[in-house]
Amino acid sequence: MSGPTLLVGAVAYHERVVPIWEIFREYFSARDVPVDYVLYSNYERQAEALLDGKIDIGWNTNTAFVRIRHVAGEPVRILGMRDVDSDWATLVVTRKGEGVEKVSELSGTRLALGSRDSGHAAILPLYYLAREGLDAVNDCELIRFDTDLGKHGDTGDSELRVLRAVADGEAGAGAVGAPIWASLKAKADPLISGLEVQWRSEDYYHCNFTVLGSMDRAVADRWSAALLAMDYNDPSLRYAMDLEGVKKWLPGDEKGYATLTEAMVQQGYFG
Amino acid sequence: MNSPPQDTATRSIDAGDIEFGDGLEILLSTVFQAAEPGQTIDVATSSRSTALELPGWARSTGHSAERDWKETNGNGQRFVVRVRRGEAAPVLAPDLPSRGEPMPLRLGSQFHTTDLVNAAPERLPGSPDPGYGLIPLGAVPESGGPQYSWRLNHHDDLWAEEITDLTERASSAQWDATVDVPWNEALGLPDDVERAVAQVMTFIASNEYVALYVPSKFLPQVNSAFVDILMWLASHIHDEARHVEVFTKRALIGGQRGYALASTQMSLHSLLEEDDFSSASLLLNVLGEGTFIDLLGFISRNAPDAATAACARLAHRDEQRHVHFGISHVRRSQKLDPDSTPQLIGAVEARAAKLATLTGLSPVLLESLTILAAGSTRSASLRRGAAGVKELTRLMEVNRIRRLRAAGFDAETAHHLSELHTPNLM
Ligand SMILES: [Fe+2]
Ligand SMILES: [Fe+2]
Repeated sequence: MSGPTLLVGAVAYHERVVPIWEIFREYFSARDVPVDYVLYSNYERQAEALLDGKIDIGWNTNTAFVRIRHVAGEPVRILGMRDVDSDWATLVVTRKGEGVEKVSELSGTRLALGSRDSGHAAILPLYYLAREGLDAVNDCELIRFDTDLGKHGDTGDSELRVLRAVADGEAGAGAVGAPIWASLKAKADPLISGLEVQWRSEDYYHCNFTVLGSMDRAVADRWSAALLAMDYNDPSLRYAMDLEGVKKWLPGDEKGYATLTEAMVQQGYFG
Repeated sequence: MNSPPQDTATRSIDAGDIEFGDGLEILLSTVFQAAEPGQTIDVATSSRSTALELPGWARSTGHSAERDWKETNGNGQRFVVRVRRGEAAPVLAPDLPSRGEPMPLRLGSQFHTTDLVNAAPERLPGSPDPGYGLIPLGAVPESGGPQYSWRLNHHDDLWAEEITDLTERASSAQWDATVDVPWNEALGLPDDVERAVAQVMTFIASNEYVALYVPSKFLPQVNSAFVDILMWLASHIHDEARHVEVFTKRALIGGQRGYALASTQMSLHSLLEEDDFSSASLLLNVLGEGTFIDLLGFISRNAPDAATAACARLAHRDEQRHVHFGISHVRRSQKLDPDSTPQLIGAVEARAAKLATLTGLSPVLLESLTILAAGSTRSASLRRGAAGVKELTRLMEVNRIRRLRAAGFDAETAHHLSELHTPNLM
């Protein structure tokens, strides 16, 4: 039997979001957990919609998730995340040959960061670097690229600017997410040919499908089970999963968001 | 960095100082493809930054990094990352079969198309999926590709016994319409003779267009699994393109222009309307190109200049292959399916009905052909030319019936069909 159609919110950070959700919509409806989708231009508006009950499920960045949980006033649930979200990390890169043994050696340099609402390219770098002994806010000159605000770094634009700043010598070091680095490396992008990784943060969680705790548990469980059953080796799904950058969906829980929560509190994101 | 783990990985690889972007991903890809999903592989590198990139590479290729540590030995230190192979198959297809026998060669290191088709690891399918992809012979298709919708999906409906040999012959018999004709020999004919030659050449060129368009129309309808049919049609198309070229060149070389006659246009239009492959083969290959063999033979023997003779001779060679295919194909179709005989006859009758207003070869053409054969407008020559054309008409009729008989029609039907053939010759 098929239940009521669930409304999923996603942010249109790229036009590929449409084919992804057209294919996913077909998939979920074939699994008797029909969904429709609504696209938002920014995560703030989508978070509001989830909190107001206008959508059932939100496909959130880690920053959006932490914010929603902070203001929800009720428990929230995670229904799944991509494999790539389960061990996301931030890298610090410099021009080749800098030989940075410890990040504290970066004291006094110009450090490039991505959009200030990006967990992986702005908030967490400052947090983790501080834990490693580099108080970047006070000891480095920060160069922030606040582009595509509201998209929480999804477009990758600010990270490309970070890398360009380092390559051009405008910055001495820069922080980016591990996935964008891996994808540029995979296509031997000349932008990073003169750069190398000096440091990698510990793993943390990135995006997830969020629902409010008040959502019917059985319905949520069925939807989550259908999500986790997506098979990358199924030819009808491979295209959409490639566009979404996922090979396997994982259940996900809240533990990987502890550091970001702490970082956002410390950095004053909740006022 | 952690300490080395107690347990050992399924396998390990020392990547030395090779980096991502310099071939490390290729090295890793071969190692990981050889491993089973779930197995662990220790990847060692002398570069710290490469070690820091390994988890990202692993994730983006569907694997996952589990832990990393540093080892120190006599050569200094190396960094090790343990990666668990994921379940994602790089290619959505069964494993490639193990290497088989090499393909057979003939004397002189020749690799014949017939042998390619006959010795391929899989036989050409008789009735493949109409959605079959653009998949070369013997390739293992990955699933998830786009669906096509081919119209012609039965090999028997398209094939002829000698098709690969004919294709092979077409390749070795290529010629060049730019240099293989002694073009300077065409210059300097008297006006009336040149006008006649230009008219006949224009007529032939018109007909070559339909010979080009008919196979061109069917080729994109043919199921992509039929590589033999595709190669044959492509060779036919290529031949006809060159015929259009060579006869257009001969028509215009002397500065004279000719008419594209409406009767010719009508005839060709009715031929291009035929949508059944075998019926089109009967109309074009057996009847049209068959009749043209006689016409081209006549011109090569009677042309007033060596260039015109060469054009006709070179095209004549190609037409023999086209006619050979048609006769063989139509004969086989009738043998396989006796019901196809009335259908083939019906196609000739239907076309004849459309061309009911055409009676006999256009006078313009008859006149030009006569002057071409006469080589001048002197009355003695004209008499000889006229006799030649009359003999040609008789020869065309006789040979047309002979070809129809060879294509499997009984004597009475062969006469009937020959009678119905377009007065336009093609
Ligand atoms: Fe031709
Ligand atoms: Fe031909």
